[in-house]
Amino acid sequence: MASGYDRALSGTCAVGVKGSDVVVLGCEKRSAMKLQDTRITPSKIGLIDTHVCLAFAGLNADARILVDKARLEAQSHRLNLEDPVTIEYITKYVAGVQQRYTQSGGVRPFGISTLIVGFDKGNDQPRLYQTEPSGIYSAWKANAIGRSSKTVREFLERNYKEDMDREATVRLAIKSLLEVVQTGAKNIEIAIMAPGKPVEMLPVEDIESYVKNIEQEKQEEAAKKKTGRTPGTGSAAILTRSAQDEPGDH
Amino acid sequence: MPEVLLGITGKDFTLIAASKAAMRGATILKAADDKTRQLNKHTLMAFSGEAGDTVQFAEYIQANAQLYSMRNETDLSPSALAHFVRGELASSLRSRKPYNVNLLLGGVDPITHQPSLYWLDYLASLAPVPYAAHGYAQYYCLSLLDKHHQPDITLERGMELLTLCADELKRRLPIDFKGLIVKAVTKDGIKEMPFDNDKVVKGT
Amino acid sequence: MDTLVARYSRPTYQQNEVFSEQDQQDFTDVVPPLSLKFAMPPVAHPSAWLRAATDDRSNPSCPIKIAHGTTTLAFRFQGGIIVATDSRATAGNWIASQTVKKVIEINSDLLGTMAGGAADCQYWLAWLGMQCRLHELRHKRRISVAAASKILANLVYQYKGMGLSMGTMCAGVTKEEGPALYYIDSDGTRLAGDLFCVGSGQTFAYGVLDAEYRWDLTTEEALELGSRSILAATHRDAYSGGFINLYHVKESGWEKHGFTDTNPVFWKTKLEKGEFSNVTSNFAE
Repeated sequence: MASGYDRALSGTCAVGVKGSDVVVLGCEKRSAMKLQDTRITPSKIGLIDTHVCLAFAGLNADARILVDKARLEAQSHRLNLEDPVTIEYITKYVAGVQQRYTQSGGVRPFGISTLIVGFDKGNDQPRLYQTEPSGIYSAWKANAIGRSSKTVREFLERNYKEDMDREATVRLAIKSLLEVVQTGAKNIEIAIMAPGKPVEMLPVEDIESYVKNIEQEKQEEAAKKKTGRTPGTGSAAILTRSAQDEPGDH
Repeated sequence: MPEVLLGITGKDFTLIAASKAAMRGATILKAADDKTRQLNKHTLMAFSGEAGDTVQFAEYIQANAQLYSMRNETDLSPSALAHFVRGELASSLRSRKPYNVNLLLGGVDPITHQPSLYWLDYLASLAPVPYAAHGYAQYYCLSLLDKHHQPDITLERGMELLTLCADELKRRLPIDFKGLIVKAVTKDGIKEMPFDNDKVVKGT
Repeated sequence: MDTLVARYSRPTYQQNEVFSEQDQQDFTDVVPPLSLKFAMPPVAHPSAWLRAATDDRSNPSCPIKIAHGTTTLAFRFQGGIIVATDSRATAGNWIASQTVKKVIEINSDLLGTMAGGAADCQYWLAWLGMQCRLHELRHKRRISVAAASKILANLVYQYKGMGLSMGTMCAGVTKEEGPALYYIDSDGTRLAGDLFCVGSGQTFAYGVLDAEYRWDLTTEEALELGSRSILAATHRDAYSGGFINLYHVKESGWEKHGFTDTNPVFWKTKLEKGEFSNVTSNFAE
């Protein structure tokens, strides 16, 4: 039996990026079968509460249960404390549930990693946390989980800048996903959160224009490299797309 | 019983009014109490009854309505909520410690924009009604509304009817209920309506 | 048949579950539930039994007399919150103590007041202090007064109808809420407000307090008004008396303003201001 980690590592990729006053979640959508209705197939990005968003990588079915538990806790927190949950609190809760399922006899760990983002009540600081099947949780400026997350994380490490505006944050999220997503815009999902506002799912057309813009820029850069290159010093390909992992995995 | 709950539906709205006094024994502990809870974008519930039970029950329903909205990315309709609340009251009624709560649940259907109002009591009765009242207010206001209410009235006319009811209550109810808090549910959501509670009504 | 229906009326993911609801709960609950489990007297109806043993109104010769009778008040104003109480504990007609501390220091920034059963208040407010500290440790920030008062309200609501008797106020100042004041009683009522008086002497205190209460009271005026309102209640209510216990709550925490014997305060008020004119000080005639 594969461990929770194997499952969590092999799910489709998800990224989270913090800007100065927004936080963006990006997801690779599993490539759909011909007859699948993509409009109503459940998304990998879910709302925990109006101000908390969660993306996962790993087993869809496990995530559904975990997300449901988190939603229940978020409402229970509102009911008992008269305040919405803080992002750290709900992260700790999710990680706590995951931890318990590594410790009890007869249960199987949650085969998912999650990225949890949002804004605390009355606070403009964006938050981004990650949880793992073991129950570890950690805070990030930008991070990726799932298949080829190492490639994406390295990309983020190279390209992350402090205090990005909304535009730049969304762009970085999409650009980092393009490192591993083959089919471009229609296989990317983007959720944007801003303080005190409901979550915004970026329309496909907008993602497409970002993708086009990024591809164009890449081509221009490549062209510039080609012309400016002195003969004999061939550089390695910039586009490091990871090996195409087992197809049909989800 | 000294608490006043009123509800009126019209062409494209539901109005809910609740008295502002929170009483304990012979003392008014608070004169600006809000006996309503918003269940989702276009459903509002007003409550009266046993101290403690009221708020506990209303907030329990509120939390479950919101949980439903989060889980399903859609809101329950006022009718669905009313039947859910009735079910909760019915199972509570047969438990060791029943909730002693009377409710008015009003809303506007998110899709059809049809306004609705439901009258519920602690015995888990449920009735869809065009206008409703709980407590002593029933004895004074229902006859008034029987006479003056039409199903297709505007929001302005609805507010006039509430003023009519409030005036009568001020005139004849021996207890000062500290005025009404009035909220209107329309297709655009729920908003509190300005209501003149300082008006003095002399009895004859 | 019922079990058959039950099987299909549950969400699909809960079907054929090997683990009981309790196990599920245990897996999911990261923090233990707030309520405690008490041993109950081995009788059929513990609450009825308690009432029979303690209710001195219906049975004057009941074996246990619970300490009741109090005046406590608290109000919000521009400079924070004033909390004031008397200090008398009575059990029936017997004055059990004149030096009770009815203001309970939940922690360095939260105060609770005590009316009703002294033991109930003392125990549950101490317990609330514990919950507040745990909240602080878990959430890395101070608990809001709203949340603290709700923990207590939910707790007493669980015990509703089982004989708890308390009328308490929670006062605190936090950065997010400003000065916040809540009234909680054993019915399960919880109200936010500007001004509350609780106890057998509440009406007397309300009389004085309501008349002169304003939001923009200076701190000196507010302290004097709080103290004078308690004095009024101790004068008229047989079950209130002893000392005036006065506190001022600010964002930096609470500050104690004395535990003052009512007797000299009464005579000072009477002789210097000419109030309480129904009491004669002319013993010669």
